[in-house]
Amino acid sequence: MKRPMPPAAAIIAVIFLAFLPSPSTAGEDDVLHLYNWNNYISPETVARFEASCDCRLKQDYYSDNEEMLAKLEAGAVGYDLLVPTGNAVESLIRLHALRPLARERLPRFANLKAEYVDTWFDPGNRYSVPYAYTVTLIGYNVEKLRERGLPTDTWALIFEPKYLEKLKGRVSVLNSARELMAAAMIYLGHSVHDTDPAKWDEAKRLILRAKPYWATFSNSTYIKDLAIGNLWVAHGYSNDMFRARADAADAGRPFHIGFTIPREGAVLALDSFVIHRAGPRPDLAHRFIDFMLAGENAADVSNLIGAGNPNAAAMPLIRPDIAADPAIFPSADEARRLQMLKDFDVHSRRLLSRIWTEIKVR
Amino acid sequence: MTRPRRDPTRWLVSLPPTLFLLAFFLAPALLMVLASFRHPGEFGGLAPLLVDGKPQLTLETYRFFFGDWIYAEVFLRSFIVAALTTLFCLLLAYPLALTIARSSARRRDLLVLLVILPFASNFLIRVYAWIILLGPPHLLYTTFAVIAGMVYVHLPFMILPLYTNLEKHDPTLLEAAQDLGADAWTRFWRITFPLSLPGIWAGTALVFIPVLGMFAIPELLGGTGDILIGNLIKEQFLDNRDWPLGSTLSLLLTVAVLALAGLSVWAGRARRGGI
Repeated sequence: MKRPMPPAAAIIAVIFLAFLPSPSTAGEDDVLHLYNWNNYISPETVARFEASCDCRLKQDYYSDNEEMLAKLEAGAVGYDLLVPTGNAVESLIRLHALRPLARERLPRFANLKAEYVDTWFDPGNRYSVPYAYTVTLIGYNVEKLRERGLPTDTWALIFEPKYLEKLKGRVSVLNSARELMAAAMIYLGHSVHDTDPAKWDEAKRLILRAKPYWATFSNSTYIKDLAIGNLWVAHGYSNDMFRARADAADAGRPFHIGFTIPREGAVLALDSFVIHRAGPRPDLAHRFIDFMLAGENAADVSNLIGAGNPNAAAMPLIRPDIAADPAIFPSADEARRLQMLKDFDVHSRRLLSRIWTEIKVR
Repeated sequence: MTRPRRDPTRWLVSLPPTLFLLAFFLAPALLMVLASFRHPGEFGGLAPLLVDGKPQLTLETYRFFFGDWIYAEVFLRSFIVAALTTLFCLLLAYPLALTIARSSARRRDLLVLLVILPFASNFLIRVYAWIILLGPPHLLYTTFAVIAGMVYVHLPFMILPLYTNLEKHDPTLLEAAQDLGADAWTRFWRITFPLSLPGIWAGTALVFIPVLGMFAIPELLGGTGDILIGNLIKEQFLDNRDWPLGSTLSLLLTVAVLALAGLSVWAGRARRGGI
């Protein structure tokens, strides 16, 4: 009589099977590994690239730069491409973690708008090719704010008690020391790069005065809470507000979600493709970057997730309502009021974290 | 008296788990102690330990921690939340465990299965369900929501050890007490409860300690003031990239928990000695 397989042996067999090579597909040896933000490239774009290069694109995802840096710092290898924000690009360059670009393999580089190349984090674009950007701004429930006669284009909305009194418990701000302090510093008229403890203290007092009116610190749940009407005002990223607006419209809610860049200015996050030094396929990585620089491929990120686009060739292919949205594509005048975050040194990071803890506890 | 027999197979059997604990528990714990005395690296991680052959160690991080009351306040707050969670878990779990333990054998298995069933889905998904539940009654983003979520997630860890303990009680003890005229309350208070103390302690440890390190629930359900020590530690390693401060916080938390455990063992011994 045949004995049934003992459970332990069965488990080992299953684990073993999982490591066996999968049945072959086209271009199976040619795999490009992309370590990317969640929901940052549409499946259609991926399919088009795979067809054009006869290779496969394999993606891993992260939800913030620190997570990606921490994983690389811990020794992760095998990623060809990353999509870090400016300050993380700068860190990666200084860590010698990136491979210089072979510009002759990127003929479409000229598609990029002049204002998004040659940036402070990578002068001359030796390592990075801009892909998309978001702005940290204020998203709001159009009807609720209109009923209360509240302004929508100023940071005062989340910091001034005279406005917050009408919004108590309906406001969320980002659960990020950097982003919230940046908003407070901008509202107070300081630079986001300023590390003067006296100015930080001023910003802390502004935040503590407003905090009793806020519902929560939230980095992602505000999308849903805005879309279903739990929150009326949220400090967050433009592409998240884009999604909240679409979700509210799709669900047929009796209100609309809007988002505006505050007139005092805001934080801009420009994400770029970079090639990791330890990646095994720099050839495919260059092909991918050049593919993504083509207008029809670059346009997808704006059409699908509402990110801003540094690619001039993409502009005619972006849905007119998105291309005309000043919170996604700010005018040149507004763009001047946007600032990119830079990494602080260890001492300032520790001081900021101490202030942040105090903000949470008080 | 015979000395316990030296059995080589006993050593062989206990070798793999011992090695596992040495390699993946003790070694990282010691690395953490070392990290708490090192300088933070510019991009995160740690600065080099040796510069020109001289070790670069500092007490700066400890000085920073003890420099004011902010961090101690977070510790205190976390211990209060953990104590409340443990108390509510105990109050909810005890009657349930007792009911299960006194059911018929077949129903008992079914009930235990029901207690374990929530583990079939990831706890984060279940916490998201709480967001939906607590939203309409305006209880979301409050300390109440944090404690409700904590109690919900950790309840099985209180029920199971209690049940295992209560199930083993000898029913003839209760019958004897009844014959001697003890009412239901006296039977519970004088027999069942004292016998179940080991189960209570086991459940308390299984709930109290993980709650202290929990960061996901306060982040998802908590309001603007609900920061716990777990959040603080996570922030140091991920957002703030300050490993020495993160290590110091973890280490002090471990010391505080061990001190508390030691205290409860000592208190238990003193009580038993007194009887």
